[in-house]
Amino acid sequence: MRKFPIAAFGTLALALSACSSEEAGNAKDADSLLTDDWNVVQDAAKGQEVNMYMWGGSDNINDYLDEWVAPRMKEEYGIELKRVPMNDAQDIINQLLDEKVAGKTDGSMDIVWINGENFKAAKENGLLWGDFTGQLPNFNDYVDAEAPEVSEDFGEPVEGLEAPWGKAQFVLVHDENEFGNPPRSMSELAEWVKQNPGQFTYPAPPDFTGSAFVRQVLYETTGGHEQYRQPAADIEDLEERLEPMWQYLNSIEPYLWREGATYPESLAKQDQLFASGEIGMTMSYDPALAASEVLKGRFPQSTRTYLLDGGTLSNTHFLSIPFNASDKAGALIAINELMSPAAQTAKLSPENWGDLTALDLEKLSPEQQQAMNEVDLGEATLSIEELEQNRLPELSSDYIDIIEEGWTEHVAKD
Amino acid sequence: MKKHPRLLSLFLFLGLFIFVIVPFIPLILSSLSFGWRWPDVFPQAWSLRAWEYVVNDGRTWQAVGISLWIALVVTSVNILLAVPAANALVRYRVRGRWLFEAIIFAPIIIPPFISVMGIHLSFLRFGLTETVLGVVLAHIAPTLPYLFRAVMISYQTLSVDWEDQARMLGAGAVPRFFHVVLPHLLPGILAGASLSVLISLSQYLITFIIGAGQVVTLPILLFPFISGGDPSVASAYSLLYAAIAIAALAGMDAALKRYYQTNRASQQEKGENA
Repeated sequence: MRKFPIAAFGTLALALSACSSEEAGNAKDADSLLTDDWNVVQDAAKGQEVNMYMWGGSDNINDYLDEWVAPRMKEEYGIELKRVPMNDAQDIINQLLDEKVAGKTDGSMDIVWINGENFKAAKENGLLWGDFTGQLPNFNDYVDAEAPEVSEDFGEPVEGLEAPWGKAQFVLVHDENEFGNPPRSMSELAEWVKQNPGQFTYPAPPDFTGSAFVRQVLYETTGGHEQYRQPAADIEDLEERLEPMWQYLNSIEPYLWREGATYPESLAKQDQLFASGEIGMTMSYDPALAASEVLKGRFPQSTRTYLLDGGTLSNTHFLSIPFNASDKAGALIAINELMSPAAQTAKLSPENWGDLTALDLEKLSPEQQQAMNEVDLGEATLSIEELEQNRLPELSSDYIDIIEEGWTEHVAKD
Repeated sequence: MKKHPRLLSLFLFLGLFIFVIVPFIPLILSSLSFGWRWPDVFPQAWSLRAWEYVVNDGRTWQAVGISLWIALVVTSVNILLAVPAANALVRYRVRGRWLFEAIIFAPIIIPPFISVMGIHLSFLRFGLTETVLGVVLAHIAPTLPYLFRAVMISYQTLSVDWEDQARMLGAGAVPRFFHVVLPHLLPGILAGASLSVLISLSQYLITFIIGAGQVVTLPILLFPFISGGDPSVASAYSLLYAAIAIAALAGMDAALKRYYQTNRASQQEKGENA
């Protein structure tokens, strides 16, 4: 009688493990999709259900995928595109890491939306499928594969493991009616905060946008971005070089929101402060976010975005296929479709999303270019041209870690 | 009893109003607002955008169904586990009883994140991730302690004499349980089950990690909006969530009342027959 529970657990465990080993075979022949003819891929994709794991906190972006992309995928390719909402791309990586350790081969993530640190972690741990971008017709036709913002992701070589989906650029946001002449450089900003105490702040790093603002300060106060093109470990006097940045941030601190005693913990909180009129400026790594907030009524009609005179940081976000995706053919077709000029043009419109295109405008046909130029970006958004002419490259993630830790040490604690 | 009924009920009503009703007011306003800027006390413009998104999104209703189904199954399993466990631990001299109790209550003290990481790896090997069954099993750990505690206390106030009496009158083990023990335990079970349902409904992390995006409950849809900063949609989801939780509790309460009524009716019938 006493041995009964153990026996029961043993049988249960056996029964359960038997279920899991069945479907191991499917991944083996998927790798041929990387070299197969595109027609073969299309045939293989028919009827597949493609799960796209992505951040799910914007009704615009969610609707763009559910209502614009998914019906077209179904109609044209017979693919069921299913969006899976995530709270943070970091969770995707953690999940895949566990699946790798457990040896799960029939993963349910077919497409993941990542960039930067998450891409680096995924690449280093072998969580991505392979060099697939060369297979995609739309990548070959419309993307400038040599451009640094496509071949590198926060300094990490992409090597075909992920396909560019869109671009983002750092902009500052202000209300034209409240503050007509906003500061366009860090020295002007230092003056501005003295004249308008309590009206400026930035989200505390490691918030993504707050951290980008600090990098923006780094570029301007320490003499440009070129010096940081090498690995951080190779710069011996890095600490001294970063010193002017900490000095600058500490010098403006007394004039910030709540005298700099505290910083908003996230951009969402900071945007809330701006939306409710408590602060006069906010910032965004998405140049069209302000326009879509105006459409939603959260930001006032007179909201405008602008760039710093020295240019602003820009990055690219990517779509990738995990090593254990079950429907790789469908994933290839879907990513290719998401990069089509039509899908990219729809994505550009602030009503759908307002995300900058990953395509090279010069490679588009005149009609396609026109369609893209005709998209009304909203009064709050700058023109694509103006944004493109003022782009600065991102730092690699080893610097970002140093800066985020340094900020806590030098700015938050003082 | 009847000394200050007015004052007391006024007091209770005020407390209820301040702590239960008032927090809902900004949620309702925010879910319907089109821009809500300081220093306006009320939004200046209104919009149904958030509600349209929440109500029209097919996954919302799917998520409601799955959330309730999981909560129901979890709670049923919990009752089946908690009643015998409480029976054994309260009535028999079990060696190392503190250890068993510690194991059952541990999930209240240990953060779920720690255990769920380990559970995730095992469930991956068993093929239980991304399944409702896996999520149900994972929800049992944080919900069982509450049900167990409620049932244990009910058992402590139930003397064995009642059952002995029934036994002397010739009742077997099964009738003894259903006619003597269960009616006494029922209020405790219901109190514990309510907590179990509420806690299961509110799980985000465990559902997220074990369900891996394939088991979409209401919190899975709600969380990205809270952290992503769309207060309107987040408020609309929160209100929907509260409505579902209240409806679930009201439903359980109604079921209990019905049970007592039919039970009494059938006992009366038996009395008449005899």
